[in-house]
Amino acid sequence: MARRRTHKYVPLPAAAVALVLAATACGSGGGGDGSAADGLTVWIMQGTNPDETGFFEEANAAFTEETGVEVDVEFIPWQDAQNKISTAIAGGTTPDVVELGNTLTPGFADAGALHDLSGYDIDTDQYIPGLMEMGRLGDGVYGVPWYASIRSVVYRSDIFEEHGLEVPENWEELRETATALAEAEDGMIAFPVPGDAQYSVMPWIWGGGGEIAVEQPDGTWVSEIDTPEGRAGIEFFTGLALEDGTSTTGAVNWTEIEVMESIANEEAAMAILGSANPKAILESNPELEGRIDSFTLPGREEGYMPSFAGGSLLSVFEGTGNEEAAWQYVQHLTGDEFSMRWSEETGFFPGVTAKVEEFSESADPILGPFAVQLNEASRGVPVTPAWTQVEAEKLLVGMQQSILNGEASVDEATADTAAEIERILNGG
Amino acid sequence: MLLAPALTVIGLLLLFPLGRILWLSFRDFKLRNLMSGESDFIGLDNYVALLTDPYLWQVAMVNTVVFAVVAVLTTIVVGTLVALLLSTLSTVPRLVVVSCIMVAWAMPAVSGTYVWVWIFDVDNGVVAQALTSLGLLDPSGHNWFADRLFFYAIVTLNVVHGGFPFVAVTVLAGLLTVPAELHEAARIDGAGAWKRFWHVTFPVLRPVFAVVTVLSTIWDFKVFAQIYLMPGGDVGGSDMLNLGVWSYVRSFGHNDYGLGAAIAVLLTLLLLVVTVFYLRALFREDGLR
Repeated sequence: MARRRTHKYVPLPAAAVALVLAATACGSGGGGDGSAADGLTVWIMQGTNPDETGFFEEANAAFTEETGVEVDVEFIPWQDAQNKISTAIAGGTTPDVVELGNTLTPGFADAGALHDLSGYDIDTDQYIPGLMEMGRLGDGVYGVPWYASIRSVVYRSDIFEEHGLEVPENWEELRETATALAEAEDGMIAFPVPGDAQYSVMPWIWGGGGEIAVEQPDGTWVSEIDTPEGRAGIEFFTGLALEDGTSTTGAVNWTEIEVMESIANEEAAMAILGSANPKAILESNPELEGRIDSFTLPGREEGYMPSFAGGSLLSVFEGTGNEEAAWQYVQHLTGDEFSMRWSEETGFFPGVTAKVEEFSESADPILGPFAVQLNEASRGVPVTPAWTQVEAEKLLVGMQQSILNGEASVDEATADTAAEIERILNGG
Repeated sequence: MLLAPALTVIGLLLLFPLGRILWLSFRDFKLRNLMSGESDFIGLDNYVALLTDPYLWQVAMVNTVVFAVVAVLTTIVVGTLVALLLSTLSTVPRLVVVSCIMVAWAMPAVSGTYVWVWIFDVDNGVVAQALTSLGLLDPSGHNWFADRLFFYAIVTLNVVHGGFPFVAVTVLAGLLTVPAELHEAARIDGAGAWKRFWHVTFPVLRPVFAVVTVLSTIWDFKVFAQIYLMPGGDVGGSDMLNLGVWSYVRSFGHNDYGLGAAIAVLLTLLLLVVTVFYLRALFREDGLR
């Protein structure tokens, strides 16, 4: 597997090259494909988390020793996940086990692509409720929570200290901190406002007091993105870029990968990032050791602003003929030993509620604010199979980009997006 | 009889997918149907939805057609100019230049696109830095990927860069068959370079131009990677999609395979019409040579 390198001036190709190398490295590293009949194919998502090959080599070796079944893990970039899975279904080349982002699980479960696991003995109460909820559809269970990921703010503690800045505790302080950084650090991006990172947008909708969409008693969905509350957050977040100049023009095209690289390349001073990012940043730039820290997203006036509780479920594909072995592999990865090791190696939180606390206590102090975020201020997306389409059409991305590009006002963009979300969620 | 193997291959490789797309375009086909394999016939519903969608007429169709016209013209002109240059060179320099343009030809679309995106990177790209240091661009930069015209200008650069070598090499092959006496005679009659090209070279090479134009048109109508991989090129409602990318986004993003297939059928019909029109126009005067 290719390790991410520190490219000072080439953020986009860096990601591309990493992905290409990753794909080729995995292709040649598999081996043992001839015995496909008794082997499992597993798709694992890849994006802003640290290098995972070592973990899977050990986990798979342990599984093969225990069961005699060979496992071939393939890494899929997050942004290609949905298309690749749809294409695989069409071509009949689905893997046996797939890691699905919690927002994608209901859509594929609803389509009948995933094997119903409710027949097996699963204690669904032990998992983080918000994650488990995304794996359920009707009476069926279509995914088992593997890990939770949460986004807070990662910042350069050395730069904060140098300029005597404190961790902000509300929006206004965040704005003041960001503008102070922009003034004090010439040539540095104080607080990137990315255009292609929807989970960095969602907290502001919630923080202002809005909901992405609320189900009405009659079963229809109404979006609150275009309410005064929803708009307040979007206005504030995009305003940081457009009025306060804390971001950079190019950030309109940034995904979370580029945001992470901007911190790793020492180009940005603070940014909204996930709990697995600090480790990946230090892996790519060890010189930042001891110079980065994190804080929980501050609330509008006080307290904390909710952040998107992401995470992944492991699902078994329907109709592969290997469902039994695949389920064993899911249990293997979500079991005590390997779920804890996974968390320790990546910085993602375990999917089992009891383990979150155990992990938080032993983990790197930099993960503390993320644990607070997960426990006290986390939120999910609307639970409906149609949500998958909202993400596939990149509606929130389109909204954020049109505002940042100056093509639409906050009012126009939020009104359009709210209408589109309602159209899709209401089956239009 | 001798045609039978070829026809079988064509039938399997071309007609089956074509027929399948046509069949799909009359069906209500979503992710669920992909799993079950069963679907309902819904007549022309997909086509009605497609043709009444303002996005088709205001964005996708305009992007596809205007881009193809500009890109084909530019590719042919640049390719022909390079071919004319090559035809005047002696063996060794010609070999050097041909090798250089082969590199452009050999560049895979995906890598090529990432290189262009990198060149035009908003913050640190070569172009942005050059313009900034010349004082032509505000240091805060400009997001060209958000501007439809700029976006397609970059796509055009990318596609022309990848497409002109084919035209250059093909036209060069044609140029070498033009009898030198014709040029000599024209020169004696006092014809300048332009007149010699237009009245001697072009008529002789008409079939060559017909082939490269038709092929370039087909390629430029259906560019995909060069748009999809650009920032904003994969966002559902953005102004940047062409018919091909839109078809993909509808099919595999929105999981509406029926409508995606209808878009693909529309694109195919459009290409057929344009190709027939071209061939007739190019061969109208003196028939097939």
